[in-house]
Amino acid sequence: MLGKSQKAAHLAEEITDYTAVQGRSLWQDARMRFVRNKAAMASVFILLLIVLFTIIGPYFAVWSNEEIDWNVMGDVRGMGMPSMETGHYFGVDDLGRDLYSRVIQATTTSLLVGLIGAATALIVGTCYGITAGYFGGRTDGAMMRFVDILLAIPTTLIIILLLVVAGRSFFTLFIALGAVGWLTMSRIVRGQTLALKNREFIEAARAAGVSEFTIMYRHILPNLLGVVIVYASLLVPEMILTESFISFLGLGISEPYTSLGRLIAEGAGTMGYGTLWQLMFPLTFYVAIIITMFFIGDGLRDALDPKDR
Amino acid sequence: MLAYVIRRVLTAIPTILLLIVACFFLMHYAPGGPFTSERTLPPQVLANIEARYGLDQPLWKQLWDYLYNIVVHFDFGPSFKFKDRDVNDIIAQGFPISLTYGSLSFLVATVVGIGLGIAAAIRHNSWIDYFAVGLGIAAQALPNFIMGPILILTFTLWLGWLPGGGWNGGQWPYLIMPVIALATSYMGSIARITRSSMLEVLNSNFIRTARAKGLPTRTVIWRHAMKPTLLPVVSYLGPVFVYVLTGSVFVDIYFSTGGLGQAYVGSALSRDYAVLLGVTILYGVLTVLVNLLTDLAYAWFDPKIRY
Repeated sequence: MLGKSQKAAHLAEEITDYTAVQGRSLWQDARMRFVRNKAAMASVFILLLIVLFTIIGPYFAVWSNEEIDWNVMGDVRGMGMPSMETGHYFGVDDLGRDLYSRVIQATTTSLLVGLIGAATALIVGTCYGITAGYFGGRTDGAMMRFVDILLAIPTTLIIILLLVVAGRSFFTLFIALGAVGWLTMSRIVRGQTLALKNREFIEAARAAGVSEFTIMYRHILPNLLGVVIVYASLLVPEMILTESFISFLGLGISEPYTSLGRLIAEGAGTMGYGTLWQLMFPLTFYVAIIITMFFIGDGLRDALDPKDR
Repeated sequence: MLAYVIRRVLTAIPTILLLIVACFFLMHYAPGGPFTSERTLPPQVLANIEARYGLDQPLWKQLWDYLYNIVVHFDFGPSFKFKDRDVNDIIAQGFPISLTYGSLSFLVATVVGIGLGIAAAIRHNSWIDYFAVGLGIAAQALPNFIMGPILILTFTLWLGWLPGGGWNGGQWPYLIMPVIALATSYMGSIARITRSSMLEVLNSNFIRTARAKGLPTRTVIWRHAMKPTLLPVVSYLGPVFVYVLTGSVFVDIYFSTGGLGQAYVGSALSRDYAVLLGVTILYGVLTVLVNLLTDLAYAWFDPKIRY
């Protein structure tokens, strides 16, 4: 009797185990696809190492990024070489400042520029795009015509113009980058919103008396998230590229702060004097960041938007 | 089609006007006028200088004159920094240089990029395919301002084959590195776009039909697959033009070609707003025109699009 009931319980357990198949949400699915993508996972790993380096690195620095080492200044080519003894792990720059600290500072700047610029673009572009797409009609026409006009202007030149007019600082740089980055984002979001707003579940929400704002926030936004995340992740390296380009020209962040573009420019200026490390260290970090970011963006696209391959 | 052309042209005009007006106001509200210096000028002198540049007029009159001169005479006014030159001189001197290597690199990138992309798609999963894909990835990490130093390091400092900068009337040794530095990045992008587009077209039904009725591969590709393949590439040419424009600013600086970019960055650093605005407006107008042309080309290319 006892054995039989045990067997029945076991059997019942087994049946329920097999019948209740664990459902997978869209996000779990996407995560699995992303984790299986070797290039993307390797990129995440490398990028994490770089971020870790910018956090832990300063504790090992012997020199600050502003300090000039007067001892090596006269002989940058010989004594300013990368070495463990002098504490200049990456050597010194042309003025005798420690390149290790400067590279850390520049990498932080570039990463921040990418993240904050993309975040600004993401928030502004999403709000703008949802509003235009959801209300439609004349509002949509006017709002999108405005975007079209702004899109027709070479963005880098506009950023330079803004930086010159409003003065060069971190704040202006973020604003200027965000000011041009949201345009394409708003277009994408608007297109998606247009497709979504006539679907049945939106109609159901409206019939149930949900307010317009709540519909946008609770029902449309979550469905946009995949596309928005993919585009934002591709926007990050683009922001870093643009900022480096402007810094390379000497129009970006001003001293003592620096960015990878500026360091590459300085290294490129002195590469004829046998101080190649001044170019190679920032260049390596820069290329590593950009390539990993693109692979992560590609991986996210494959994971979240599998039809677009 | 004609209605579409007219509508497209009509939207381009307010875009250009808005661009000019926006730039004008940016210039006007910028802190520190072009004549602010450590030594404050006597008010009479300042008044004279402002009268010379028309800055004493009411704002709407200044804006009207600026617009009128640009639209009617194509005249961007005098430079604030160089007393004896006006913006037109500076543009006339620098623009032909930028245009020369700019259009060359545009040509190189488009032709080589499309060729590479098609070759990669036809020989899918061969070494040329991997090369094209690799180039497409590398191109994103090697924009012009990275390619420039790498090229100079290789060809000038190590091999000593090419001059490290200058223009010298546009002789070919001086042209090679600017063109390559500018072209590589979007050559990779074009190759990638062409490749994926070609692969998609080659897998479609009408190509299978063309093959099935026994057409030689050459005819299938040139007569049937080519046009739909190039559609996304054509729509990418507008952005490519913008890349060339902004990239030329770097090339002018780095290779000291004497092109317009040098004047642009110089004016940005010395706050010579007249030159800064003139060049921005010129580039903006060119961009609007090229976008217009690519849109029209796209409409002409794609029979599915009806406006």
